[in-house]
Amino acid sequence: MKLKRTFGLKSTLPPYSIILLLTVTVLILAMVSLGLGAIYISPLEILQNFLGNGMQSQTFILHNYRIPRILIAVIVGAGLATAGAILQGVLRNPLASPDVIGVTKGAGLAAVIVIVLFPQSPIIILPLSAFIGAAVMAAILMIFVYKKGAQPNTIALVGIALGAICQAGIEYFMVKFPDDVNTTLLWLTGSLWGRGWDQVFILLPCLVLVPVLIALTSKMDVLSLGDDIATGLGERSKLLRYILLSVSVILIGVCVAAVGSIGFIGLIAPHIARRVVGSKFKVLLPASALFGSIFLLVADSLGRGLFPPIEIPAGIITAVIGVPYFLYLLRRERKIT
Amino acid sequence: MKVLCTAIAGAVLLILGILTSISVGASDIDASMVLKSFFEADSSKEQTIIRTLRLPRALVGALVGANLAVAGALMQAITRNSLASPQVFGVNAGASFFIVSAFVFFPNLSSVSLVCVAFIGAAMGGMAVYSFASGGGMTQVKLALAGMAVHFFLSSLTQGMIIFNEQAKDVLYWLVGSINGKTWAHVNMILPWSLFGLLVAAMFSRSVSILVLGENMAQGLGQRVYRIRILAGILVIILAGSSVAVAGPVGFVGLIIPHIVRRLVGGDYRRIIPFSALFGALLLVYADILARFIAYPFESPVGIVTAMIGAPFFLYLAKRGRNIKQ
Amino acid sequence: MTGRVQNMREFRKVRTFGGGAFILLLAIMVMLSGCNNSQKTTEAEKTSAKTSNQEIRTIKHEMGETEMKDTPKKIVTLELSFVDSLNALGIKPIGISDDNKKEMITKLVGQEMDYTSVGTREQPNLEVISSLQPDLIIADAERHKGIYKDLQQIAPTIVLKSRESTYQENLDSFKTIAKAVNQEDAAAKRLSEHEKTIKELKSKLTVDSNMTVLPAVVRDTSFQAHTSSSYDGELLERMGLKNAIQQELPHAEMNLEQLVEIDPDVLLLANNEGKLLTDEWKDNPLWKELKAVKNGQVYSVDRDLWTRYRGVVSAEAIAKDTLKMLGEE
Repeated sequence: MKLKRTFGLKSTLPPYSIILLLTVTVLILAMVSLGLGAIYISPLEILQNFLGNGMQSQTFILHNYRIPRILIAVIVGAGLATAGAILQGVLRNPLASPDVIGVTKGAGLAAVIVIVLFPQSPIIILPLSAFIGAAVMAAILMIFVYKKGAQPNTIALVGIALGAICQAGIEYFMVKFPDDVNTTLLWLTGSLWGRGWDQVFILLPCLVLVPVLIALTSKMDVLSLGDDIATGLGERSKLLRYILLSVSVILIGVCVAAVGSIGFIGLIAPHIARRVVGSKFKVLLPASALFGSIFLLVADSLGRGLFPPIEIPAGIITAVIGVPYFLYLLRRERKIT
Repeated sequence: MKVLCTAIAGAVLLILGILTSISVGASDIDASMVLKSFFEADSSKEQTIIRTLRLPRALVGALVGANLAVAGALMQAITRNSLASPQVFGVNAGASFFIVSAFVFFPNLSSVSLVCVAFIGAAMGGMAVYSFASGGGMTQVKLALAGMAVHFFLSSLTQGMIIFNEQAKDVLYWLVGSINGKTWAHVNMILPWSLFGLLVAAMFSRSVSILVLGENMAQGLGQRVYRIRILAGILVIILAGSSVAVAGPVGFVGLIIPHIVRRLVGGDYRRIIPFSALFGALLLVYADILARFIAYPFESPVGIVTAMIGAPFFLYLAKRGRNIKQ
Repeated sequence: MTGRVQNMREFRKVRTFGGGAFILLLAIMVMLSGCNNSQKTTEAEKTSAKTSNQEIRTIKHEMGETEMKDTPKKIVTLELSFVDSLNALGIKPIGISDDNKKEMITKLVGQEMDYTSVGTREQPNLEVISSLQPDLIIADAERHKGIYKDLQQIAPTIVLKSRESTYQENLDSFKTIAKAVNQEDAAAKRLSEHEKTIKELKSKLTVDSNMTVLPAVVRDTSFQAHTSSSYDGELLERMGLKNAIQQELPHAEMNLEQLVEIDPDVLLLANNEGKLLTDEWKDNPLWKELKAVKNGQVYSVDRDLWTRYRGVVSAEAIAKDTLKMLGEE
C-alpha cells in the first residue's frame, strides 16, 4: 500500500497491454540499435542481411558484434532490473538495488584482485571471481539481515558501508599496482565493449530462473505486505526471503560477471515500472525487466553511436542518466525513516 | 578532569606523532637531529630536508586532519545525523570533481584560484546532497544514499573525461588523497583558511550546541537558528574545500573523529569542536606515517589508510543504525 | 469478489504475456546463434580457400601461436610501438588505434600518413577494424587480452607486450612482427643496423662509468622515475649510462627527499603539459643542491618519444637525443 501511494502515477492502460507495448519497444530499439555504430548500416541493408544477401563485411559486423551485444544488453538490463525489483520487494525498501547493497562493489573488488594479482589467469576466471565476490558480499549482508533482525533501512546502510569497505580495497590495489589501472577501470565502469557470444552463453543459464520467478510471484506480493501478515497468512516468509535474495544475487552476479559493474539499472527500472504498472509482482517483474532492457539498450547504443570510433562505456551513460533520476526519487521519497 | 587528561594526552600524542613523522623518511635522520633542528638551525642537508620537506608535510597533515574533523563535527551538528561528514555529504566529491576538471581544462590555474574552484565544488556537492536528502526529514539512509549517488555520478563524469583525455588519468592517484611531498607553499595555501575556519567554529561552538539541543528548543531563539546553520555550512565549505584543494579528498576523517571525541568528552560542542581539531590532526599525522610503510620504500596516499580505518567504522555506525542521541 | 477474480484473470494473462515475451526472446536468440555458427563456417571456408602454396609461418606470441600465409598487406595496429616497428620496415598500417590524435601518429612516423583511426587504445572499435578487412592485427598483451578471440575472427592476430615491455622485449617483438609480415631478412638487416647505430652513438658518448642518470615523467602532482628495468632506462644502460635506480619494477613514484637521497648525476625529465611538480621543487634549496642541477645536467625530453612510442626508430631517436644532450660539453 505504501509503495502504491508513493508511486501512484498508474497508467490508465491495462497492465498487459503495457507489457506488450514494452516488448514491442524493446524489439524496435533492438532493430534500431542494429544499425548504429561506427559503421552505419541502414534498415534496408539489415533486412537484406537477414535474408542472406547482404554485404559480407556488414554481415560480419552484425553477427559478431551487434547481435550479441544487443542480446547481452537485453538480458543484463532485464536481469539487473529484475534483481532490483525483487530486492526492493524483499527488503521492503524502495531504494534497495544491487549497487546500494554493496553486491556490485564486492564483485568489483574480486575482479580487481584477479586483474592485479593473477594477470596471467585465463580470461574465464574474471567473471567467475566477480560472481564469487558478489555471492560473498551477499552472504555477509544476509548474515546481518537475519542475525540482527535488522530494519530494511539498516540493511541498506550496512550495504553502503560494506560497499565502502570494498571501495577502500579497490583503491588500495589500484594505487599499489598502477600499471594495471586501465583494465581495472574499464571493468569497474561496466562496458559492453568487446563482449560477444561467450558472454551471451554465460548469461543464458539465467533464463532458468524465469519459471522460478513466475512461480513465486504471488507469494512475493504477500511477502511485501510485511513479515507479520505474511506469517499469519501461512507463508514461510523467512525461507522465501532467502530464496528470493539468492535468486537476485545470482542474477546480479552473472550480469556483473558478464559486463562489469553497470550501475543504477537495478534501481531505476523497477521504479519506472512501478509507476506505470503498479506494484503487483506479476506485472511488476516483467515490466521491470523490459524497462531494464530498454535502459541498457539505449545506453549502449548511445555509447557506440555518439562519438565513433571512440566508445563510451555503457556504465558511464547509465550513471549519467540514472543518478539524477535516483536523486529525484530520493527527494520525493518522504516515507523512509 | 577527564577532559583535561584527554587534552593533554592528545596534545602529547600529536607532538610525538609530528616528531615521528619528521624522523621517518627516505634519508636516514635520527631523532636527535630532529630535535636539534628546532634549537640549533644550520644549513646542513639533513636540516634542510627537515625544514623544507618533512616539517611542512607534517603540518599540512595536521591542518587537513583538523579541518576535515571539524567540518564533520559541524555537519553532524547541523544535520543531527551521525553519518554526516564531508565524504558522505558529497563535499569532498564535489570539490575534487571541480579540481580535476580544472586540471584538465585549465592546467595553469594558480593555487589561490584552485582553492576557490574547490570551494565552489564543495558547495555544489554539499548542496546537492543536502537538498536531495532532506525531503521529508533527513534520515541516515537517505543521506547515505544521496551521498553515494552524487559520488557515483561525479566519478562517472571523471571517467568520461579520462576517456577523451588520456592526460586526465594522471589525476586518478590524486583522487585518493595524499599529503606526500607537500611543502610550505601548501601550508601557506591552507593555513589562512584553516585558522579562519577553526577559530570561527570554536567561537560559534556555543551556538552550535544550542542547535543540537533540538530545533524545538532553539526555536525560541528564532532567526538565529537559521543564521547558525548558514554560517556552519559556510565553515564546512571553507574547511573541507581548502583541505581537498591541498591534499585531495582524504576520506572518513570527518566521519570518525567527531564520534570518538563525543565518546571522550561528551556532547557539548564547545568541547567537541576543539577536540575534533586535535584528534583529526592526530589521526592524519599517524595515518600518514603508516602510509609510508604500505608499499615501502614507495609512498602510498594517506587516503588509503583513512579509508581502511574509516570504512569499517562506517559499517559499525550503520549497524548501530540510529541518529545521534540528543 | 468478482473484482478479485477479474484481477486474477488479468494477471494470468499478463503472466502468459511475460512468459511469452521471454520465450520469444529465447527463440530469437537461438535462431541468431544458429546464424552465427553458420557464419563461422563460411569464414573458415573462405580462409581455407585462400590457401596458396606458400609456406606457412608459425608466429609465437603472448597468447599462443598464429599461423600466417602470404605477406599481409593490410595491417591494423592497436599500440603505438607497433606503428614504429612497421615504420622501421617501411610498412604503413591501414588502421591505428590513435586515441583520435592524428598528430601523435604524424610525429611518430615523421610525416602525414593515411590511415583509419580505430578508436582508443583502451577500447579499439572492433566494427571499424573488421570493416577495414585487415589480414594482420597486432595487439597489446595487457589491454587487448580480453578481445583476442574477437580479433582472431577478423584476421590472424598476434599479441605482444608493448606497454610494459622492456627494451629487449621490444626488440624481440620487432622480430616477431617482422616474421608476421614476412620481412625477416629486412628486419635482421634493420636490427643489425640498429645495433650498429646504438653502438656508434655509445662510442661517441664519453662519460664517466660511475655517472648515474635518471629518466622520469613529471606531472603536476607526481614525479615518476623510470628505473633500470623500464624501457628507456634499459636503453640508456645499453648506451653505458647507469640508471640511478637499479630495480625490477619499471616505475617508482618519488618525492623530493627520495630524489635528494638518490642524487643522480643527470636528470632526463619527460614533462607533461601545463604545471609541473618540479616547478615547485625549484624553489627548494635542496633542489639547488642536487648534483644534476649544480652541474647543469637537467634536460627535458619529449614525453611521447621517450615513454610512449617505443620502437627501433624511436630508440635511435632517443639515443641521438641523449648524445646531443650528454655528448658535447
